[in-house]
Amino acid sequence: MSNRITPEMIQSATLSSIDQSLEAVQRSSEELSSGKKILQASDNPVGTSNIINLDYEIEGLSSYANGIGNGLGWLQTATGAMGNIGEILQRVRELLVEGSNGTTSEENLRSFGVEVTHLTEAVKQDANTQYGGQYLFAGTATSTKPYNPGLEDEYQGNEEQVLRAIGPGSTVNVAMNLSGVLGSGPGAADGKLLDVLRTIAGDLTEATPEARKRLGGVDLKNLETNIEGLDNLQAAAGAATDQLKTAEARIEAVQATLTQALSNVQDANIAEVSIAYSSEQAAYSAALRVGATIIQESLLNFLQ
Amino acid sequence: MAIPTLQGIQTALSGLLAQQEAMDTVSNNIANVNTQGYSRETAVLEPTPSLQIANLSQLTGEGAWLGTGVTVQTISRVRNVYLDSQYRTQNSALSAASTAAEELEQTQSAFNEPSSASIASELSTFWTSWSELANDPTSEASRESVVAAGDQLTQTLNQVARQLQTIAGQAELQVSVQTGPNGEVQSYAKQIAQLNGQIKLAEEAGQKPNEMLDRRDMLLDKLSSLANVTVTQEADGTDTVAFGNAEKPLVEGTTVNWPQEITEAAGGELGTLIGLTGPTGALTSYKESLDNIAATLNESVNALHGEPPFFSGTTAATIKVALKPSEVKASGTKAQGGNEVALAISELRGGAADEAYAALVEQVGSNLQVAKNEQANLKTGVAAIENQRQSVSGVSLDEEMTSLISFQRGYEASARTLTALDTMLETLIEHTGQVGL
Repeated sequence: MSNRITPEMIQSATLSSIDQSLEAVQRSSEELSSGKKILQASDNPVGTSNIINLDYEIEGLSSYANGIGNGLGWLQTATGAMGNIGEILQRVRELLVEGSNGTTSEENLRSFGVEVTHLTEAVKQDANTQYGGQYLFAGTATSTKPYNPGLEDEYQGNEEQVLRAIGPGSTVNVAMNLSGVLGSGPGAADGKLLDVLRTIAGDLTEATPEARKRLGGVDLKNLETNIEGLDNLQAAAGAATDQLKTAEARIEAVQATLTQALSNVQDANIAEVSIAYSSEQAAYSAALRVGATIIQESLLNFLQ
Repeated sequence: MAIPTLQGIQTALSGLLAQQEAMDTVSNNIANVNTQGYSRETAVLEPTPSLQIANLSQLTGEGAWLGTGVTVQTISRVRNVYLDSQYRTQNSALSAASTAAEELEQTQSAFNEPSSASIASELSTFWTSWSELANDPTSEASRESVVAAGDQLTQTLNQVARQLQTIAGQAELQVSVQTGPNGEVQSYAKQIAQLNGQIKLAEEAGQKPNEMLDRRDMLLDKLSSLANVTVTQEADGTDTVAFGNAEKPLVEGTTVNWPQEITEAAGGELGTLIGLTGPTGALTSYKESLDNIAATLNESVNALHGEPPFFSGTTAATIKVALKPSEVKASGTKAQGGNEVALAISELRGGAADEAYAALVEQVGSNLQVAKNEQANLKTGVAAIENQRQSVSGVSLDEEMTSLISFQRGYEASARTLTALDTMLETLIEHTGQVGL
């Protein structure tokens, strides 16, 4: 092949090297300004699909984390409400013990009866506790008040579980079955808390020696059975809370790992790119300078 | 036998004329230094036939051959046919790869991945909205956000499907315009056929139609970016041009055979465009994959949601949310606070639709990556061949200036010779026979 060099060849070679240098500069500057090394799918197709899948997983984990947060709030509120009921029951127990011994006057007994009726109402109110507009103790009938105020004690909700997702395919029930302890009152005669409380109030109001005897005997025993039932429910709430917290800790750990993995795939190494950027800029300036000098010269400059 | 008296003047004149013609050629080269497709020309100088002088030597009686000057035998065009055919082959391949890269680039930007405004992120938002509904199944706001996220997702799917449709439609339109009546193929072919005719006539008349040859070569170069081109040079100076995988030659003498059917195998820009939009082409397969994703979404969400169906439409272009926020179900049969439907739908995250989409994006990216790499490689190849062509056919100003000087000096010297001969004759005519005057 002949070695003739023509201006056209120099021009196109110079232009193409200027183009290449500029392209490299542009690429690095895009990486620097976005902080990402994969700007389009074609930069790294496998990496892009990894980014998409990691994004899916991270987003999924944060929605599990939201569900867990919601479940924890729900359980915390429920535990608080059950705690209140527990305190009320302790008060009722005190009244029972005091009323069952013979020294309390009939008048006092009757006033105890009124107090127990008020406390029963308070128990029902605690059972109607809401979290974020949803009734906590109505099963899945979360828009329905579990107990109506007043003398009607029938449970309005259901026994369904309220589930919160804590991970792929795994859920935790956050609905504590309080109606299992409270029952549906004297109408159902189920021996559950409301039924027992109504009986106690009745016995206190009756204030006869037989009634006093019942107060210290069967009523106290029934009340204690129900207090135990409530404690068991509290324990169940505690266990569910622990389960959620464990899941939360696990999700946080996985989230950190995945975020790190995402960053490894996606983020540009700023130090490396910066150094590449300055050397590419130098190459670009050199290409421009050389081009400008070479193209100006020809034999014409030297002929007289 | 004597030498003709005025022979020297004739010889000097031939020198003057030849140097002048050579300078004209140089001048033409310089004028065309920036003309695209121009091949440099050289004046091929040749001595004119010698004059035989008999019995010149009185001793031996031998004759001699006296040179009578110079003539321009031809003005030849410096061109390497082999490089032309190599250039065209590579140029077709480059054009095919560039077209693929361009089309796929458009496709890739329709998908806009990875980014926070894409189908992937809309899918994520959609699944999250179901998780939120599961946490708060009675909330009207959660239902509205499920429908809003669904709308956003389906609209993005519709939009990407439309963009794919537009890209494919434009590719098809481009093919039909370029191959249609008065399209580029036909117009180049007509010009080549016309030049074939003119070149044939000129060569029959013994002329060298260099500028027509240049124009024809340039047209063939242009034609080679549309599809593969094979050129056969005929004895009468015409070129027979095979185009793509068309059955008959596109140009044969002065005849143009167009339109003809070509397929993906034609190569070049047209081959790529036909291939991409064909039944097995990338654009078609992307559309099918996206439709499958839409159908999967429709099927899986509707199956879990029950009546009324959440999505209607089973293609990417037609899928949309089919119900009002109040009709969104978090639970199938249970009371308002149930969330098993919402939980089950949120568990579709990372499922078939998500996986298929990530795979589709990977496919789009890797197809484009391959096309771009191919384009870069072929660009280097074409540049190298073009460089070689330029090395052979390009005008070098340094070289032309050198030639100019040498022809100028030749002209000056011939003129000087003429003056010397003139002086010699003057001596003979004016001063002979006047001895003693």
